[in-house]
Parts: sequence; C-alpha cells; structure tokens
Amino acid sequence: MRKWLMVLAAAVVASCTSIDCPVNSLVLTQYQFTSSDGQVLTLLDTLTVAMTRKDGKDTLFNKGSQISTFYLPISYSHPEDELVFHFDGDSLHRTDTLWVKKDDYPHFESVDCNANFFHKLTAIRCTHNLLDSVAIHNPSVTNDEKVIHVYIYPKTDD
Amino acid sequence: MATSTQAQMKFFTLQKDSVALFRGFAVSFDLAGAGMLMLSDYGQYEAALRVNLHDEWFPIVEAGLGKATHDDDVTRLYYSTSAPYFKIGIDKNMLRDKHGPNRLYLGVRYGFTSYKIDIARPNFVDPVWQWDTGFGLHDVACKYHWAEILIGIDVKIFGPLHLGWSVRYKQRLAHSEDGDWGKPWYVPGFGTYDSKLGATFNVIIDI
Repeated sequence: MRKWLMVLAAAVVASCTSIDCPVNSLVLTQYQFTSSDGQVLTLLDTLTVAMTRKDGKDTLFNKGSQISTFYLPISYSHPEDELVFHFDGDSLHRTDTLWVKKDDYPHFESVDCNANFFHKLTAIRCTHNLLDSVAIHNPSVTNDEKVIHVYIYPKTDD
Repeated sequence: MATSTQAQMKFFTLQKDSVALFRGFAVSFDLAGAGMLMLSDYGQYEAALRVNLHDEWFPIVEAGLGKATHDDDVTRLYYSTSAPYFKIGIDKNMLRDKHGPNRLYLGVRYGFTSYKIDIARPNFVDPVWQWDTGFGLHDVACKYHWAEILIGIDVKIFGPLHLGWSVRYKQRLAHSEDGDWGKPWYVPGFGTYDSKLGATFNVIIDI
C-alpha cells in the first residue's frame, strides 16, 4: 500500500502545470554577405542599419564590423520593411536601401507565452551603390536562429 | 513460454461459474471534470455507458463536452474552445472475487475530438517598429486522437449507486490543425495539449 501511495504522490507532482514557452522566442531575420560563387564574405567596413519606423528612423544594428552574418528584427505585421544600410570605412561611405516584402502569420505556443508572429519573405530588392543584389535564401522566418534568410551580394570591385 | 501463454489466455478468458455473461448496464457521470470547469478555466461534462460482462469485462463508451475559456492577465491572450469528444474502451475487474460489491479496474481507452478554437489579443504596438498590430485566429479547425490507460476503483454505496475513481495516463496518437500557426493550448476531453495525467470521480448507477 505504501508503495502505491508513493507512486500516486509522484504522479500528482508530475501532473502539476508548467509554463512551456520556447527558450528562444525572438523572431529575427538573418542576413549573410556572400560572393557570387557562394563564398561567405566578411565585411571589412563598418555597417550601421537604420529602418523606417512609424515614428521616424531609428538605428537597428549599430556599427557592426568584421561581420559576415547578422540578425535584424522584422516587423510584426507591416507588409514591407525598409532598411537603410550605411557602409563606413576609411575612404568609403555608401548607403543602400533594402525593401523586404513578407506575409505575416500569428504564432501561438500557449496562453502563457507572448503573442508572436512568424513570416514568409515574398520579395526583396535593393539599391546598388555598394550592393550588387540581394536574394531570399530561406523565406521562412521563425524562432529558429540557425537559418540564414537573405544573401547580400556586394559589388565585386568593392 | 508455455506458462506465459497460459497466463495470457487466463487473462482474456472469463472465470468459470454459474453467473450469467450479461449482467446489465451502468451509467456514470464524472464530477471531477465538472468541478474543474466550475473552478478553473477548463474542464468537461462527461457521461459514460458501461456494459457488465460477467462482472469481469466492462466495454465502455464515454462522451462529453470539453470547454476552455482563458483570458490571460499577463500575456493578454484569450483562448476559447468548446466541443464534444468521444472515448471507447474496455475495463477489466482485477479483483479475485469478481462478483463482490467492489471492483478494481485496469482499462484502456481510445479518444477522439474534432474542435475549433479562437485565439485573440487586443491590438498592441510592435515593440521595435511601432506599428499597430492585431493578433487573432478565428474558428481554426483541429482534430485530436489519443489513448489512455487507467486504473480505477468502484465501490458500492447502496442499491444501484456506486462511486468510482480513476487515474489515467494519456498519450497523444495523432493530431491535425488547419494552417501553420502553432499548437492548441487545450484539447476538449484530453486537457492541456501536452498533459499526461488525468483523473475522474464518477457517480455510477446500475440500470
């Protein structure tokens, strides 16, 4: 009988509710500088990214240098995000703008976890001062931080 | 090996005596699920019809209405669903004295529900981009299949009235949800999505 009571007690403890939210709830877009032949490039200059927020511009990614990949926030439900890339080096000061179009999907884990959105990138384009082009590598933007979503191809002479 | 096979055969055969095979029906109502529904954000009204075969085997059908309405104070997420569910299974009386007033059951169930959920949140401001944002899913269709194993007791109080308790281990078998939006929080009849344990407290009447 004592053994059965211990089993029952263990079952009751195990049945207690727990909050089960994902460890990583951030939904970010990952960009990677890539050469036309698929090699990962490291940016020697400094990169600052600004965006067009509802209340004006603000800096998202401030003065990254010696980087090849980086994360940027993606808006919850705005149909197109506008990102302004400032490249600054010793003798180089150039600016390019990226426009990222996407579809947004509410994502639900539990009533205990904050409301979140996943996204599907549908189109991306850019100006061509330092950048040659941009391309969607993986359109599905979730809380999986390992995925590279966008390839950025700089001009080869820069 | 021969001993093991004989033991299995003994488990599945009826005890030999002069008692008739068909011993009647019993209906039962689960007070634990109804109590949960009154005291918390989710629960169920459940009734069952059980056939008594020789006081030893008890095929059973359980049906109920599972409901959840949760409005979270912290995340401000609202979750609502209400749907019927059905379970079919069988219990075996494990007591040596099969025809006594009390029973100890070991049983299995297969459960199924088809339900729709609503999830909503008041509009809020995107914390990074500052755009006003709405969040909601309406009438999302879902299906859920599960299995249960249970241990239960049934105690005769007087006349046709019995009281019974059961503890159940639940295992999801299959599920489907329309769209790629995440996973349900509460499933009618099963409980919260990843729950494993459940319990019932039944009022049982022999008919």
